[in-house]
Amino acid sequence: MDSHPSFAPSGTQIDKVPGMLDANLRVRGRVPYAMDATLPGMLHAKLLRSPHAHARLVSIDTSRAKALPGVVAVLTGADLANRDDIYPYYGPIFRDQAILVIDKARFVGDPVAAVAAVDLDTAQAALDLIQVEWQELEPVLTLDAALAATSIVHDEPARLGQTFADIIVHTEADTNICNHFKLRKGDIEAGFAAADHIFEDVFTSPPVQHVPMETHNCVAWWENGTLRLISSTQMPFAVRAALAEIFKLPQTRVRITVPTLGGGYGAKTYPKLEPVTAVLAQVTNRPVRLHLTREEEFVTITKHGMQIRMKTGVTNEGKIVARQSTCHFNTGAYADIGPRLIKNGGFGTGGPHHIANVSVDSYAIYTNLAPAGAFRGYGVSQAAWAYESQMDMISERLGWDPLWFRMQNLLNEGESIMTGEPMVDAHFKELLATSAERIGWDPDQKASRAGSKVRAKGLAVIIKASVTPSTSTASVKLNEDGSLQILSSAVEMGQGAETTLSVLGAEVLDLRLDQVSITRPDTDHTPYDQGTSSSRNTYSMGTAVKMAVTDIREQLLKLGSDALEVAVGDLEVVAGQVRAKGAPTRAIGYGELVRRVRAGNLLATAVYASNGGLDPETGQGIGSVHWHQAAGAAEVEVDLDTGRVEVLKYHAGVYAGRIANPAQCELQTEGNIAFGLGQALYEEMIYDGGQLQNGNLADYMIVSMEDMPKEISLDVLEHLESHDIHGIGESSLPPCMPAVANAVFRATGVRITDLPITPEKVLRGLRAAAGQEVNA
Amino acid sequence: MTADDTVAGVTARPIDTDGRISISLRVNGREEALRVRPHHTLLEVLRNELGLTGPREGCGVGMCGACTVLVDGRPVSGCLLPAALAEGHDLLTIEGMEGPNGELHPIQQAYVDHTGFQCSYCTPGFILTSKALLAELPDATRDEARAYLAGNLCRCGSYVKILDSVMDAKERLRGQGG
Repeated sequence: MDSHPSFAPSGTQIDKVPGMLDANLRVRGRVPYAMDATLPGMLHAKLLRSPHAHARLVSIDTSRAKALPGVVAVLTGADLANRDDIYPYYGPIFRDQAILVIDKARFVGDPVAAVAAVDLDTAQAALDLIQVEWQELEPVLTLDAALAATSIVHDEPARLGQTFADIIVHTEADTNICNHFKLRKGDIEAGFAAADHIFEDVFTSPPVQHVPMETHNCVAWWENGTLRLISSTQMPFAVRAALAEIFKLPQTRVRITVPTLGGGYGAKTYPKLEPVTAVLAQVTNRPVRLHLTREEEFVTITKHGMQIRMKTGVTNEGKIVARQSTCHFNTGAYADIGPRLIKNGGFGTGGPHHIANVSVDSYAIYTNLAPAGAFRGYGVSQAAWAYESQMDMISERLGWDPLWFRMQNLLNEGESIMTGEPMVDAHFKELLATSAERIGWDPDQKASRAGSKVRAKGLAVIIKASVTPSTSTASVKLNEDGSLQILSSAVEMGQGAETTLSVLGAEVLDLRLDQVSITRPDTDHTPYDQGTSSSRNTYSMGTAVKMAVTDIREQLLKLGSDALEVAVGDLEVVAGQVRAKGAPTRAIGYGELVRRVRAGNLLATAVYASNGGLDPETGQGIGSVHWHQAAGAAEVEVDLDTGRVEVLKYHAGVYAGRIANPAQCELQTEGNIAFGLGQALYEEMIYDGGQLQNGNLADYMIVSMEDMPKEISLDVLEHLESHDIHGIGESSLPPCMPAVANAVFRATGVRITDLPITPEKVLRGLRAAAGQEVNA
Repeated sequence: MTADDTVAGVTARPIDTDGRISISLRVNGREEALRVRPHHTLLEVLRNELGLTGPREGCGVGMCGACTVLVDGRPVSGCLLPAALAEGHDLLTIEGMEGPNGELHPIQQAYVDHTGFQCSYCTPGFILTSKALLAELPDATRDEARAYLAGNLCRCGSYVKILDSVMDAKERLRGQGG
């Protein structure tokens, strides 16, 4: 690790930031997850799922299941649709997902009935006793089939929910187009007219799954008219809002608590299995737990499969003057957050380059596959796969060094990015140059060969937005012993949110970490947060926490001024005391100040809301409160006999602004490498006729310890003058796939444009080029 | 373990009206008398009957290692082993790793010091497999550890710091004379 070991928080009380405040519990296996909550009388739920990708529900007979001893309730979509006190649909943007199938099933795995029973064995047995009659419909299994629109996944008018400040809805009736995002910057025709060379290429990437080791699960129960839930969710407030709408209750009658999560990566954003569990709890009047199997997890939410057609115009001098992208994101059977994701993925195709003329049409397309939604990288992985592959393809065609070509086009400070806004705090060139240096980039040495093994290197650099506008709020209490409690709805999912926020709060008052506590989300007690996603927590919630604690500091300085008879400007806070600058003995402890005024505790609340938004027709405006930046460099070895690719070395560079938690910056960046290399080489949900073929961890490969490069280096870049903290949880992921593909090309001359880079594809490419010498 | 005689032992037992049989498991040094259904896995019984939440299901098919239990010192996927077949063996879960006064095992302490985890769902499995590794290969090289731990999956990708933890734990155990 070569990032910044010299880092220390400001203040005098924290020598070293621990990676995790509750590490001690975690290594004992004693940190509780939602699935560990067991309530008296708790029932266990199982879901019956559609065996068809697209089928009308003709009839359903649950009588035999209901008669099974130990079964307490069996629910169907009709039970819900017939109730006046329930609105049976949910979904963050379109209310297009029924709690249980009402009219038709739209993917293999769509829940059609739910059972609550005294134990899992009984619930499972009951599923086998439910008889369903289906009328199969023509399934929409590919993007092409969806666009042909001979079969329509959603053939009723869209049910729009509350408006989102940043989402523009362009839905087209009688098609499978769920949403359309448009971006028009400059004059695309004039741009191509000014180009000396125009290249058009198509890139695809498959749906993949998040595979959090803890699958989705929750426990629901009703308590005196209030719905209670312990859920493994990244978004307690979005889940609360959805459940309040479903049950037609004030939000005060829904209470969500969130323990630590066993991974999320976007899978646990927005409601998933909470609605059906809550209804089961209601009809049985008992606590109900639903915990998905790994096979069910695979069809609950996925990363969007994608096809991008990218046309780029360049001059002989190496400047990109025009880029036109047509993006089709396969959002599956239900929209989830796809309508927003296509915006980020769409404008993301502009890349970290200064291009005067950009045109993007990005579509979310309904198909009869498992729903797609937020996934670590949020559309940027798909976009960067296209543009960073094409940067090398253009370099190859024109005989340029890919590093040089990138450097001609990477955004400088103040240059306009694809949304028309000026780039602020630009570090792309620095990140890329360091990556190239660390991997030993040499434009003249493409590859080296030893026997059947060829080695080469590849580069990539990306830009990523954080959801904007967005809101975080925090409350803090300073107790009468001078200790500080932070009330926050940030979800701890392994990224160290609680530790990082505690550090950011503690240093404002110069407290020790053991004097600070932080809550887990409880929608009855902790204030609103939009959600723990989009690499926004450290920046957005961190800012709210710092604002609230700064308010406390100002209160203390005023109280201290009265007590010490010293002007506020002549006071400072040090080690739990307000004291006169230059006269350290003239001091008073925080606790004593609280006690003197009989305040009980000092209270403060802060709201941090970022501003921005894009024009609905041009996609111009403010796309992100600040722009995440990352680069990557890979050295691979390709076995020409087998087509197998091994990543020998990987360097990741990411811009952090300021590092708040060094261990977590390293861990998350290394995690991005693991995630990214998995998607580069192995990960792909394989469907046959709408049936998922590899929805289990025997057939679906995620990166294990042996798949990690033996040499990994990191550059977590700080720039303290900017006074800004960037989340780093996602940015270093998207460079992995194109960096590997670019290295494979330099090693073999085989250009893979369809992820993942399997041995079969490499071998096919080698054979297609047979007769030609392999680059060596 | 030899499956044959144990299976014979199970089938010979009476099954009660709830479909359960009596078994006895030695978990973390304690004998536990239990009534389980014959198909219940060791993982289900540890979690649901004994309240041990350290072993966790990740895949249900023995591929991820999150449910690892040491059976006579060797790592076994608790999700695959019928509980009745674990009779007569010494079972160790993460709950049995710490000392009598709650002090962390040196391997656990190494994972704390290196932050060898993120969400920590997989951590008990990794720590138990690390224990088996260092018992079997007290001088394990980094490459040997990589290979030994490849059956435990960490989706957060904390692998670099997990290996750092294991290599440090090796030194700590050596300092203790094994």
